Amino acid sequence: MTTIGIPRALLYYQYYPMWKTFFEHLGAEVVTSGPTSRTTLAKGTARVVADTCLPVKVFVGHVLSLVDKCDYIFIPAIRSLKSRTYNCAKFLGLPDMTRAVVPESPPILEIEIDVNRGKRYLYQSVYGLGRHFSWNPLRVREAATAAMETLISYRGLMSESRLTPLQTIDDITGIPRRKPDEPSIAPATPSATIAVIGHAYLLYDEHVNYELIQRLEQYGARVLTPEMLTEHEREAAVARLVGRAYWTYEEDVVGAGGHYLRNEVDGVIGIMAFGCGPDSLMMEILRREAGNQQTTAFMCITLEEHTSETGVITRLEAFLDMIHRRKRRRVALCV
Amino acid sequence: MRVSTPHMGNIFIPFKAIFKKLGVEFIMPPTNTQRTLSLGARYSPEGLCIPFKMTLGNLIEAADKGADTLLIPGGDGICRLGYYGKVQEQVLHNLGYDTEVIQIGVSEQKFLGLMSIIRKVSGDAPWHRIISAIRFGLSKLASVDRVERVVQKVRPVELVKGTANQLYSHAISAIDKADDYDTLKRVEVDYINRLERVPRDEQAQPLIVGITGEFYVLLEPFSSFDIEQELGRLGVEVRRSTFVSEWTKFSFFLNPFGINEKNRIHKAARPYLKRDIGGDGWESVGEKVLHAKEYDGIVHLAPFTCMPEIIAQNIMPSTREKIPVLTILCDEQIAKAGVLTRLEAFVDLLIRKRRAHSGRPQGVAAQESGR
Repeated sequence: MTTIGIPRALLYYQYYPMWKTFFEHLGAEVVTSGPTSRTTLAKGTARVVADTCLPVKVFVGHVLSLVDKCDYIFIPAIRSLKSRTYNCAKFLGLPDMTRAVVPESPPILEIEIDVNRGKRYLYQSVYGLGRHFSWNPLRVREAATAAMETLISYRGLMSESRLTPLQTIDDITGIPRRKPDEPSIAPATPSATIAVIGHAYLLYDEHVNYELIQRLEQYGARVLTPEMLTEHEREAAVARLVGRAYWTYEEDVVGAGGHYLRNEVDGVIGIMAFGCGPDSLMMEILRREAGNQQTTAFMCITLEEHTSETGVITRLEAFLDMIHRRKRRRVALCV
Repeated sequence: MRVSTPHMGNIFIPFKAIFKKLGVEFIMPPTNTQRTLSLGARYSPEGLCIPFKMTLGNLIEAADKGADTLLIPGGDGICRLGYYGKVQEQVLHNLGYDTEVIQIGVSEQKFLGLMSIIRKVSGDAPWHRIISAIRFGLSKLASVDRVERVVQKVRPVELVKGTANQLYSHAISAIDKADDYDTLKRVEVDYINRLERVPRDEQAQPLIVGITGEFYVLLEPFSSFDIEQELGRLGVEVRRSTFVSEWTKFSFFLNPFGINEKNRIHKAARPYLKRDIGGDGWESVGEKVLHAKEYDGIVHLAPFTCMPEIIAQNIMPSTREKIPVLTILCDEQIAKAGVLTRLEAFVDLLIRKRRAHSGRPQGVAAQESGR
């Protein structure tokens, strides 16, 4: 049986259940790389030029760890998911870049998703990918429909039950939650509600962000993430802040951030990678919005491979202290 | 209405000409200086690229001089550039400037879009006047670029260093002043003749270095430390395929009909990079592949954190066509002295390489004794 390797990085967190369904319906076996570790990152960093952003370095590290474990590596090039939106160059050049920096990698299965070029092109791309496994267009179509259904139910699970992608992937793939008792550590009534926003590959890669979400939960905060909002809520916030979305994943940053800055949370933490092109502008939009509103606290943490864990912890603690002080003052004023 | 637009090399010449013909007041932002860059960098998010910072500096300085309508480049499907407008507008408003910001969609609106924007700015001037104004602006642009091509050839071989640069800056201001086609033609021919007559070292066989990379830093000498002039001073002939006039010709007029001068470059890049990744990343890879045989070396210019160029930089070393490439990242932190040292070392390397390959050191030796 053919084995397809899917690196646990970048778009894995958004689409892994969908890709898995697609390939399994076509009779292939799917393997993923393990969670990011220090060696993954170090190996990836050694292959690419220094200015490459952290998530891409992590991605290359994951590809390297899959090299001998599969027959093909699946790397999509996603340009747009809605008409007139565009993605960062790193996503578009990902298959070619991986081929250049990891010459020993198994053949790369790539697919270009570009909604701007019309439905026909999209169907052709999907069929082109499926043809590696089956010549029968109906079988590919069936696999693609099943994959799409998986994606919809995956997203529904996240926004309805307020789960993070990691928990949902564990649920879907039938693995018991890695830390089932963890939530009980957090007190029944959270001391604060914090929204953590940014791209999924930064929020849920625990090595890269120094377990930021668990840490916040241990401090007694309730954590909300972009996936817990419905698509409509995120789109409304994008429309309010910038009009029309320009970036493919603008809803995850400007949309979620803009929504949470106005609703139900005490503070918003934005996470971005150093040198991230889209985020350097989108975080600025959020920072200015938070400054104009002056009701919800906002902090942006920039991650790179030289970021130190203590530095991140200190900033988190200071941020939470500030929120607690604000809350106390507000209570005192009411009395 | 007082219109202004950011600097990018000599792009102010056609804009100035167009608005003068239409009777619209054009405020030229002060020439790019360290002040422009500092202003831009102070009010920009730190992770942004140098084109954003420089153009923001220009816009602030133009608004200080009284401009009330700012034309800024933008558009779909390119890199961060398409998002510049949204943030720059907010920055200007938060700084208290009450200016109108108009985005020129360079990629999707084509010529008609540009015409309708100019029509709006000129207070609904008749179409024929707009077309003739744009035509005159574009021919000025073409003249400037033709003179620049000659300058690139003369610079490395002139006997008295600096002559070509001096003539070039005179030519720019003369072209800028020209008011009709006759004067423009006369000025252009005159300066090209004078450049051809500059006394030169007939024996010299200058090294040939291609310059490629991101559009803005290629065309705005201030952001790339006058790299072309410096290479010329080191006795290197510079080849650059990116010119504004070429770009406007193709992207505004011919591209809609499917004719694109870049097809050749894209085809060369395709084995290593299959698709357009935004910005000029595809072209950078393609130029390396295409010119590996013709040139002695390539200088690859990119703004710090430029997404497409980072991908290009990652792909370039793996191509089968080998040629030395020096990547220089431009931002507000880099000192010119450091860049010069790297350029000198690169040129030394190319000289040594050529000597090893040809065994005919005469031209190179002449250059070395000249320095």
